[in-house]
Amino acid sequence: MIGGFPIELLALQLFTGLALGSVFVLLAVGLSLIFGLLTVVNFAHGAFYMLGAYAGVFFIGYLGNFWLTLAVVPFAVGAVGLGVERWLVRPLYGRGIDYPLMLTFGLAYILVEVVRILFGAEGMPFDAPDALMGAVNIGVGYFPAYRLFVIAATAVLVVALWLFLEKTSYGLVIRAGARDSEIVRVLGIDISLVWLVVFGLGTAVAGLAGVLSAPMRSVFPDMGTTVLVEAFVVTVVGGMGSLAGAVVAGLLVGVVVSMTSLFAPAMAEVSMFALMALVLLVRPQGLFGKKGLMG
Amino acid sequence: MTLANPQEELKGSGRRLAGVVALMARHRVLAVLGFLLVFPFLLPYEALAVNILIYGLFALGFNLVFGYMGVLSFGHAAFFGLGSYATGIVIVHYGMHWFPAILVGAVAAGLGAAVIGALAIRTRGIYFAMVTLALSQCVYYLVYQLEDLSGGENGLRGVDVYDLGLPGLELTLLDPLTKYYFVFVFVALAVWLFSRILASPFGAVLEALRENEDRARACGTNVALSKWLAFVISGLFCGLAGSLNAIHLTIVPIESLHYHTSGLAVMMSLLGGMGTFFGPFVGALTFLVLEDVITLVTVHWQLFVGALFVFFILFLPRGIWGSFLRWASR
Amino acid sequence: MTDMTADENHILRAEKITMRFGGFTALNNVSVAFPEGQLTAIIGPNGAGKSTFFNVISGAFPPSEGRIVFRGREITGTPQHRFTRLGIAKSFQITNVFPQLTALENVRFAIQCMSQRFNIWTPRNRYRVMEEQAAHLLEMVELHQHHHRLAMNLAHGEQRALEIALALACDPSLLLLDEPTAGMSPEETIVMMDLIIRLAGERTVILVEHKMKLVMGISNHLIVLHHGELLAEGTPDEVRANDEVRRVYLGQGEH
Repeated sequence: MIGGFPIELLALQLFTGLALGSVFVLLAVGLSLIFGLLTVVNFAHGAFYMLGAYAGVFFIGYLGNFWLTLAVVPFAVGAVGLGVERWLVRPLYGRGIDYPLMLTFGLAYILVEVVRILFGAEGMPFDAPDALMGAVNIGVGYFPAYRLFVIAATAVLVVALWLFLEKTSYGLVIRAGARDSEIVRVLGIDISLVWLVVFGLGTAVAGLAGVLSAPMRSVFPDMGTTVLVEAFVVTVVGGMGSLAGAVVAGLLVGVVVSMTSLFAPAMAEVSMFALMALVLLVRPQGLFGKKGLMG
Repeated sequence: MTLANPQEELKGSGRRLAGVVALMARHRVLAVLGFLLVFPFLLPYEALAVNILIYGLFALGFNLVFGYMGVLSFGHAAFFGLGSYATGIVIVHYGMHWFPAILVGAVAAGLGAAVIGALAIRTRGIYFAMVTLALSQCVYYLVYQLEDLSGGENGLRGVDVYDLGLPGLELTLLDPLTKYYFVFVFVALAVWLFSRILASPFGAVLEALRENEDRARACGTNVALSKWLAFVISGLFCGLAGSLNAIHLTIVPIESLHYHTSGLAVMMSLLGGMGTFFGPFVGALTFLVLEDVITLVTVHWQLFVGALFVFFILFLPRGIWGSFLRWASR
Repeated sequence: MTDMTADENHILRAEKITMRFGGFTALNNVSVAFPEGQLTAIIGPNGAGKSTFFNVISGAFPPSEGRIVFRGREITGTPQHRFTRLGIAKSFQITNVFPQLTALENVRFAIQCMSQRFNIWTPRNRYRVMEEQAAHLLEMVELHQHHHRLAMNLAHGEQRALEIALALACDPSLLLLDEPTAGMSPEETIVMMDLIIRLAGERTVILVEHKMKLVMGISNHLIVLHHGELLAEGTPDEVRANDEVRRVYLGQGEH
């Protein structure tokens, strides 16, 4: 017993936090990736997450298969991201960091309203596939199979992304670009293409986060609004532009929120901000942030 | 960030329009107040006119940090909302007179800005927008949870100030025109104060920080403290706007604390022209009139909000007033 | 090594300065004392650590190890904005002015920083004295005809002169200049050098310069850095005669 709760319950709550945190991880990774390269804070990130969930609703109705849907959604959302970078964000490079930020903030309004027009303002059901229904015994008790899947899927994706960035030549270009876009340009690589791809990749990951969390959280047009705040908190805690920071902070925030909702349910939402304030006081550049990126 | 600088842009132009603009710039307080004084007769829909006053003031306060100092905050909803709630709570729960209640609102917002500012100032650049947004959202959740005081999800109801109780004057806010001029008095005072701050040495500090933070530091400016002070002053103005809004609406909707309200301030500054004195009111006027007209036709007003954002950033980043200044001084 | 106890003759002392960036040591145990009332030039080939050393002594960042002592008082780690009040001013290597303010507004701001830091009330134009001081400083750097031009519209040499005026606004006893002639045309360079000589008549000047020839004629004291270490110091003649210096610096061809 800790704090009046049996240890098993705490362990289950820990897993709930990890599942929640997994979604945060995916969101923050996308946000961080885009920022690291383009120095653009994507304020439409929550909207892309929402788009992912709705793309899920659409494709599962069309394809009838969850796994196929899961594979298609990132491409669909990423395609929207490519268009946004090419036509809206690109004209703003060189005009100061605030412009793309405000533009994406406005874009979020458009995306949300378009979805509202197409799908209606009401929430939509999105069920987990039969194979992931029910609960699995994880030693300390029964845990929803779907949430376990989300944790695993996130782990796989993060490892894949890490391998892509660290071990492939394209990843090398991306990492070099994040340090100094001039170097990449000198090497004869079209940096604008790299930016395009990274923006697409970041939004695709946000879309994947949306469809993954659809069966856990409900699907409605404003679902991205609070998620954007959560993604920001995670990014500030972890440190902008750091993959490791996004992972650690995402899981940390997830666990903190989930544990607080057990001990002091009223403070669940506030807890992550308390964590952020603490990080700002002690280590303003974030747990894994480098001082240089703060500027 | 490129900004319109009226004095400079007008230089060397002998055109009459430029002369008028220069005159307006010289007497900027009178120009704004003169217009707002006759405004209800130009727009015979007082509730909307009051909204424009209040949101104009909100955008004005926001513009101190964004337009003049060049720091983008997405947390100003917290100050607008704190002003509203503090005024509303002391009136509803403690039966306070409206005048001290408004002061309480502004001060509460100033305190909120002091705390949020102290945390956010520890970060730089792009982080600032994210951190202020997150912290203001924290205020949203806190107020949401304090249901006994704030009314929670339903908002705070019953901020009923009808009889102003001024000796010798029988004024009631039930009369829309009276309410307009009641709000006007506060806005006028705020606009005058604001202009005074801009003209002060500290106003020069704001410009210097916008232009070149490193150089300002090397000149001997305590950058963090100056930014913090600007943030608090900005919070006071936005809090005053919120206080007035509570009395105007007689309720405080919880949405006033949501970051979308911060987005409104950004939007209005952008529409009007950031870093210009008239911009915030031009922006508030344009935005709210458009909202009024478009919502008559369609429920999808948000689509237009987004489209306006995107359009102005891509094609008219100086905003309406900023672009007009540029055009007038060709 | 100069005598470290001769404090009254030295306005600034850098003691055992080491600066590391990650695994890279940019400065290694550099100790230098700057004589009061003289023009000292810090020279050295590219990558010698001149700019790093300049940034450390001008307070842009604290050294990894070592102390900076100004007039017998340790100032290591003192926030940058306090330096002007100590009487230390600097100019940047890359032109650093307030682009969208006029020349006069630029200088008036710098003057204002000395007295009216948080005055949010009195109108600026009440302070006629500041405006007169600003005009005086602009005259000193020969920008008196450009009061109302935006800094961004000034020529490169004029912007650099404006920056010097900004630095002079606090009436510094120690003026630190980082490559003041960088990117200047030969004519502009001559004007700037004249200005520096005039300024050095009234205060201590420390100047970082890449072009050795330029400073040989005007400085009283030279400091030569090489690979982050102090290679030589002394009068121009002493330095010119130093074999080490000839080898690493002059040997590369005249700069």
